[in-house]
Amino acid sequence: MSTAGEQDAGLSLQEEHESKTHRTKRRDGDRQKKKRRNERRKGGTRAGEGEEDLQAVSEKRERSKRKRAKSKQETSRRENNEEEEAQLTGGKGTKARKDIRNEKTRRMEKEEVREVEENVDKGKKKQGSTKKGEKKEDGGKQLVKGKAREVKKKKHKKAETSSEPETSEEDDDEEEDNDKDVVRLECLSPEELEKLKEAVDERKKLIQSLRGKPWAMKKKLVTLRESQEFVEKYEGALGKGKGRKLYAYKVLMTKKWMKFQRDFENFKTGCSIVTVASYFLFLRWMYGINMILFGLTFGLVMVPEALMGRPYGSMPRKTVPRAEEASAMDFAVLWDFGGYAQYSVLFYGYYNNQRTVGWLKFRMPLSYFLVGVGTVAYSYMVVIRTMARNANESGVGDDNSFNFSWKMFTSWDYLIGNAETADNKFASITTSFKEAILEEQESHKDDNIHLTRFLRVLANFLVLCCLAGSGYLIYFVVRRSQKFALDGLENHTWWERNEVNMVMSLLGMFCPMLFDVISTLENYHPRVALQWQLGRIFALFLGNLYTFIIALMDEINLKRKEEKIVKFNITTWEASLYNGTVSENSTASPVTIHPADVPRGPCWETMVGQEFVRLIISDTMTTYITLLIGDFLRAVLVRFLNYCWCWDLEAGFPSYSEFDVSGNVLGLIFNQGMIWMGSFYAPCLPALNVIRLHVSMYLQCWAVMCCNVPQERVFKASGSNNFYMAMLLVILFLSTLPAIYTIVSIPPSFDCGPFSGKNRMFDVIHETLESDFPPWFSKVFSYASNPGLVLPFILLMVLAIYYLQSTSKSYREANVELKKKLQMQNEENKRKNKRAALKAQMDLEEARMTAQEQQRNNNASVQDQESGSLNSNINKEY
Amino acid sequence: MGSRASRLLREEEIEEIKKETGFSHSQITRLYSRFTSLDKGENGTLSREDFQRIPELAINPLGDRIINAFFPEGEDQVNFRGFMRTLAHFRPIEDNEKNKNPSATEPLNSRTNKLLFAFRLYDLDRDDKISRDELLQVLRMMVGVNISDEQLGSIADRTIQEADTNGDSCISFNEFIKASFVVNIHICTVVFSFLS
Repeated sequence: MSTAGEQDAGLSLQEEHESKTHRTKRRDGDRQKKKRRNERRKGGTRAGEGEEDLQAVSEKRERSKRKRAKSKQETSRRENNEEEEAQLTGGKGTKARKDIRNEKTRRMEKEEVREVEENVDKGKKKQGSTKKGEKKEDGGKQLVKGKAREVKKKKHKKAETSSEPETSEEDDDEEEDNDKDVVRLECLSPEELEKLKEAVDERKKLIQSLRGKPWAMKKKLVTLRESQEFVEKYEGALGKGKGRKLYAYKVLMTKKWMKFQRDFENFKTGCSIVTVASYFLFLRWMYGINMILFGLTFGLVMVPEALMGRPYGSMPRKTVPRAEEASAMDFAVLWDFGGYAQYSVLFYGYYNNQRTVGWLKFRMPLSYFLVGVGTVAYSYMVVIRTMARNANESGVGDDNSFNFSWKMFTSWDYLIGNAETADNKFASITTSFKEAILEEQESHKDDNIHLTRFLRVLANFLVLCCLAGSGYLIYFVVRRSQKFALDGLENHTWWERNEVNMVMSLLGMFCPMLFDVISTLENYHPRVALQWQLGRIFALFLGNLYTFIIALMDEINLKRKEEKIVKFNITTWEASLYNGTVSENSTASPVTIHPADVPRGPCWETMVGQEFVRLIISDTMTTYITLLIGDFLRAVLVRFLNYCWCWDLEAGFPSYSEFDVSGNVLGLIFNQGMIWMGSFYAPCLPALNVIRLHVSMYLQCWAVMCCNVPQERVFKASGSNNFYMAMLLVILFLSTLPAIYTIVSIPPSFDCGPFSGKNRMFDVIHETLESDFPPWFSKVFSYASNPGLVLPFILLMVLAIYYLQSTSKSYREANVELKKKLQMQNEENKRKNKRAALKAQMDLEEARMTAQEQQRNNNASVQDQESGSLNSNINKEY
Repeated sequence: MGSRASRLLREEEIEEIKKETGFSHSQITRLYSRFTSLDKGENGTLSREDFQRIPELAINPLGDRIINAFFPEGEDQVNFRGFMRTLAHFRPIEDNEKNKNPSATEPLNSRTNKLLFAFRLYDLDRDDKISRDELLQVLRMMVGVNISDEQLGSIADRTIQEADTNGDSCISFNEFIKASFVVNIHICTVVFSFLS
């Protein structure tokens, strides 16, 4: 491999190939099944043809029997679901299953024998057996072995039991059905059966007479339960008729349940190779955070207001206005969070600005403000703490001096007992090795740098175009929706009303795919490419969100203008009302007007809250629907249309969908960002999010288990964990910015929300300080907030941060240095050893040489002597 | 079921096995029932085919090696005693036995023995060294045909380069221990969990 381009291309090609082989393997299984079926059919027709009627009947019977036997074989075989096999041999309660097998084989043998008897035509029999042989070959090798044994036994038995009496087939059938399920008893000898019966009877008697026994109540209960269990367990098996059937059913269900559990175990150990699991861990972590946010808002804001605040309908902000009353309960309106939902505890506008509520004197506005700040503060704390912990773990445990040894000796998961899972494991091991090799080669790689650079710039340009386009699209749509809103929503179609949310969701769905296509231009190392991809999607989401917010800001400004007019109108309206009453009757009590009739301003806070809630809802809906259609429906179609399609759907184009970990994590992060942004104006958001996360946990878990294939290229998730966390932090920061901006710079609406009537929202703190704390406290506070004190404090903090930063940096450097030293020493040792070994070898060689030399010399001298003596002898003779 | 199994297993036999391997009574009876359920020939011994019927072993690339570990040199059958002796390697180390009597012979489930068991899985020709060829064979089993020979060779070379300290381009048992001192002996405990 000379260039990086080729290398990567080669890698991807190889991987493709690999994926194909994996899929084809699976498919091959299916095909084989099909073939088997066809063969059976063919064999059947072949055998059926050219037979006399009488023989044909017997043939048919025989065939049906054979089929039955085969189907049984097949169920016990590692067919589509090898778990059956796994269950048969592994797991608990194998005893019973083993007995099933024995029973089956025995029965099969019997049938075989009868077959032989019935079958006069030897040639045909041969045909049948060869057919069988073919089928046997299809099965796994262990089965072949098992079969071979069986065949042996069969032969054995054939010789022995040729005189076995024939029972009628109907009887046999019945028996079959029964002993399939009650096998556990069949394996017992008659005397044991007898014993069991006795024991059951005994237990029954015990239960009846238990009441009269002079035992303690506890003992009685325990015995009762035990004996009931015992009786239940064995009575059904022993009994006849209904009890027996019930028992059979129960056994069946337990088997099914065990199979399911086994499946799940396999799934957990196998296909959820780290990454998918890491997504679900992240989801759970998120769920935890949201639970706490939900607890805060629900416990400190929503419940107090609902229980102790003024009830619905007592004042204008808590009543549906007269104009909307007719449609306030319509589902369409409620679905948009208008009508009764809008004027409820779910949104900012409902809250009253009275300082204390209820007999607890609960400071409602203060609590509202502090909860808003607290949610953000808590989120910051948790995210940063988690990041720090992750950094710690990766910093300490990062010892890759035995990288390959690790991969070599520990990569196999010894609990895998399922062929499909094993395939996945093979794939992931291969990928990990490839990744390791690739990383090794990364250092010396050499490439056409200009082309790559050009392509990368081009790719980035395209991505930027996409981003700008999507941003413009959203802005355009939001502006249009404002126009629609001014016209009145009733005269527009459903699409026009939901355009913003739909467009945002659709962009979020399709742009990542586009980016994926673009990123193939770039030739990055897969891990780097993944990060780029994530970064781009992140930018896209962020851009969309911010355009949305900017559009919202425009709307807020519009509403505030509207509010000014309304405010003016209200004063004149009140004055006219007052004047009217005065002119009529000066002593009458002030006229009571129903709160629904009071004119009111547009509450922009509620509007913002509503927008966010709608966004969340539509986002959730799109996620679920894409899951159902894109994953489930696709998987169903691929699976079942594959039997009658012209090309291979499973390995070819549509295939099964992969579980996209990074995309899902990003979706989760953005969802959370919206929650943080909107939860100040819509306290119901955390609750909604908790529900959403809960549902998606189970839905996605189900989708992953039943209709996704694991990703072909698997990269270690641990390294990117902090990457995701960093994204979360950025999102948190960016989503608190607009919220803080609105809180600090825009005055709250005059007639809705807990801060109405104040100049700014945070004035509630001043108010509390002044009226609820002793005067010295507010004095201290005012001193403390003096710029002369605050500025040095901030400076001190910055200095401290700088100091800590630099020390940690130096520690890290020292660490790296030490590691290097260690490695050097290791290598030095190795070299020394090698030299020693070489020297020893040389010495050995030398010694051997000298020894040989000596021996040769000796031999030579001996020869000399011999020849000398010979010579002398000769001389003597002469 | 346990009661049936123990009926066929004599008490004194259980005691002996207990002494030899350190399993508890209930563990032995449970394993015995597992043994009998694996024993399709019903002659009190297990053959290689019996082991291959365990799906986890059938699928495992090292399955044959693990099965081999159960059989003494040159034999085709293993009885319950031998079965238990091999399984004893997988018994997790308990805290209270560590410092019971250091003078006694090393128990089968000690760390070293466990590692030795794992080492033998890779040492195909039983010469107490893992050579490059042996590594290549194991790799071939693990990754199938998806990686070229050249790449596999480089992986094996790297592995040896990492673990080899005395420069004989083989991994001896001592080097194996050193390379896997970070690896917890998770292999062994895991194997145990599906056999029992």
